[in-house]
Amino acid sequence: MTQPQDLPKDAAHRLEELEHGLFTSDLSVNEFLLVKEAGFHPLGFVMGSSIYHIGLQTRKWGESQELTKLTEAMYTARELAMNRMEEEAQALGADGVVGVRLDVNYYEWGSDSAEFIAFGTAVKAEDGTSHLNALGKPFTSDLSGQDFWTLMQTGHVPQGLVMGTCVYHIAHRKFTQALGSVGQNVELPNFTQALYEARELAMTRMQDEAGLLKASGIVGVRLEEKSHQWGSHTIEFLALGTAVTKTTGTVTLPKPITIISLDN
Amino acid sequence: MSSPPTADPRAEMLQGARSLAEAPPPGEARGITSDLSVDEALLLHSAGWEPVDLVCGVAVVSVPVGVWNWGQGTISAATDAHNTAVESAARQLRGECTKVHGHGVVGVRVQVEVRPHHIDVELVGTAVQPVAGTDGGGTPFVSDLSARDFILLKGAGWMPVGLAFGACFVYAPRRSAGVAMKQKTQNVELTNFTEAMYTARESAMERMQRSALDAGGQGVVQVRVTEGPMSFARHAVGFTAWGTAVRLVADSHQFLRPELVLPLDDAVVTFEAQSLRGK
Amino acid sequence: MSDGSPDLPEAAVRRLESNSFSSGLSVPDFAACLDLGLQPVALVQGFCVMQWGWYGAGSGYMRGASPYFGGQQYPGAYAETYRCPHGFVSTEHRTWGQNIEQPWVEAAWAQGYGSAYARMLEEAALHGAHGAIGVVDRVSHLADTGTTEFHFLGTAVTVEGGPPPAGGTPWSTYLAGQRLTKSIEAGFMPVAVVAALASVRVWAYCMTEYLMEGARTWGGPIGPQEVEQVSKAHMAVRQLARKHVREQLAGDALHGASIQVEKRELAAGDEVIDCTLRGNRMRRFKEFDEVPAPRPTVRLT
Repeated sequence: MTQPQDLPKDAAHRLEELEHGLFTSDLSVNEFLLVKEAGFHPLGFVMGSSIYHIGLQTRKWGESQELTKLTEAMYTARELAMNRMEEEAQALGADGVVGVRLDVNYYEWGSDSAEFIAFGTAVKAEDGTSHLNALGKPFTSDLSGQDFWTLMQTGHVPQGLVMGTCVYHIAHRKFTQALGSVGQNVELPNFTQALYEARELAMTRMQDEAGLLKASGIVGVRLEEKSHQWGSHTIEFLALGTAVTKTTGTVTLPKPITIISLDN
Repeated sequence: MSSPPTADPRAEMLQGARSLAEAPPPGEARGITSDLSVDEALLLHSAGWEPVDLVCGVAVVSVPVGVWNWGQGTISAATDAHNTAVESAARQLRGECTKVHGHGVVGVRVQVEVRPHHIDVELVGTAVQPVAGTDGGGTPFVSDLSARDFILLKGAGWMPVGLAFGACFVYAPRRSAGVAMKQKTQNVELTNFTEAMYTARESAMERMQRSALDAGGQGVVQVRVTEGPMSFARHAVGFTAWGTAVRLVADSHQFLRPELVLPLDDAVVTFEAQSLRGK
Repeated sequence: MSDGSPDLPEAAVRRLESNSFSSGLSVPDFAACLDLGLQPVALVQGFCVMQWGWYGAGSGYMRGASPYFGGQQYPGAYAETYRCPHGFVSTEHRTWGQNIEQPWVEAAWAQGYGSAYARMLEEAALHGAHGAIGVVDRVSHLADTGTTEFHFLGTAVTVEGGPPPAGGTPWSTYLAGQRLTKSIEAGFMPVAVVAALASVRVWAYCMTEYLMEGARTWGGPIGPQEVEQVSKAHMAVRQLARKHVREQLAGDALHGASIQVEKRELAAGDEVIDCTLRGNRMRRFKEFDEVPAPRPTVRLT
């Protein structure tokens, strides 16, 4: 077993226990069966966490801009949590992690700080083929057991959960500006441009991550917008998805049967 | 029915894309508009029916001043206003349906708003007709059953005939101060309260049944009952009962004989557009 | 909008230049899309932020819209006038009222919605996409800035071996996955997502005002009475929304439509009713053929 680098002692101990044949997982029975169906065996429930202090950045009241310091904090903290989870998975000799969830917790005792957590179930291919990604690490994905099975049937394999984030400050409008355009519903190109820029930055960064993994694409992209604790004008735009590569390209998914369910 | 040959989805997609790139739009006078989900539209399709148009009926009926004030028994002005509004909305809905040559309206969403001075009723649904295009003949049916339920019901030999509804508004009875004092320490049924509520509920149900019979129904399915005090007048209580009147049109009930399935998904996984945005 | 795409921000261009695809499709939708021979190329977006006011009572902008001021007329717009049957002449008595369509509100909405939609398609076209599937649109108010944002999101796809779209504009649909497969199987090809807003302002006349305030007895009790002006406005706004959408259909069908009505009451009987209708414009590309009937099932759990 490879010794994990920056994990607490108890984590190493827990992982050691898992090496003796016991597996734990937060997969439901259905998901468990489908992961098995896809040719994988669950190894253990893995996680990573990081409590991160988010710095301050001044915003200009009337100007839309990216808050790079906050962006960096949000990104690094998630990356740390993800890395630790990957290390746990690596310690188990896993090929990948499925069902990854990324959460942010705020505690009363830590103002301006937040805990970033990543959970998932480490899995290993039963036929012994390696599914490590281009970086030699276990793949990660936020796919459920059902989605994992379905994806494998389409001739694609997951490479990693990729993300991009951008914290953006949306300008307040000056009173005179607002007054000047009373009674007219007109486009405000500056606002359009600001929102466009913010979301595009998040998506470009996500795509850059996929590029590092030499992925052929990203599926299930979600765009989340949260104000966290910064007030309504400062928004984090987070893009998340699972990078995939094509293996065979043949879709072996059987044609679905249409049913009409009589259940309520 | 012979089962149709299963076509190659790729070939069909190509055919569709080509027709779009090459052929001009049909340019007929009117296209079909429907608010059915795609699932429902396809279900209708599989049973040889199709949507025709989105239809609606709205009625706003005034309630005379003072009817919500204290009184006794049924608030007949409000009850009448409610019935007038529903009838008028349903009439408009049927009118729109006839205009587009629909045989009936399915998936009707019923919205009733009771306000101090007016009662608003809104009915929105999709007019449907068989693909074969036979003339409807007679009054179109109106039903709050989904297209899915309609198809199931039709397959079993039943047809919806109309919306069955009934409403009743009553004043909560009052006890005299003396009686209230006397009962303060007792465990006792408040018979006049029981009776008033009971009667009102019965009256709403009875009205619903009568409207079902008038429409030629043999039964009413999916009855929904609402009741409760008015937000603006707590001493006035309203009861409504809604359902779809149905009648057997086949010689006898046709059995569905469902198959048993063991689903392996945790929840029904459907395409949900909003999930794109996260929670 | 054609070459050079002046409307797209620099970040978008950079993202669109990379050669891997991204898609907002869920895995089941992704699988179904591959099955149809569709190749996702990119997640595409479009936005438009509009200044948005409500033209409440007292706003200078409603001048010209009110029957009390007279003014600009919109030819072809819905309008209906009601006159007092009593013959009273008094400043407090509303001797006439009107239901009028508000084409300027409709036009502003159409501009916001249309620009955002066009920008999304522009992104898709830049990719050489043939269509956009799984489109999501959202109209929301942005923080407290008095603005409304129109936002579109979709997955641009190419049809394997398919022809380029007519006129270079990709087709689009809210559908994705098996729903799309089934629609194609039933013979319907998506053309575009369409939507329209209809807005009607009700200026109550005396009868409407009295009925909505609670009908009083004017020399004798009156029973429940339909408030004709308001009922008609409600019917009209829904019909207008359908008319506006139908104008964009050119004979095609609208599937999976959703109709939303929002009303703001300004005074007894005075209100603004907005109705939004949106759906998938679909074109029938083959004659009706049977699709297999679904099998009725009961869950064994």
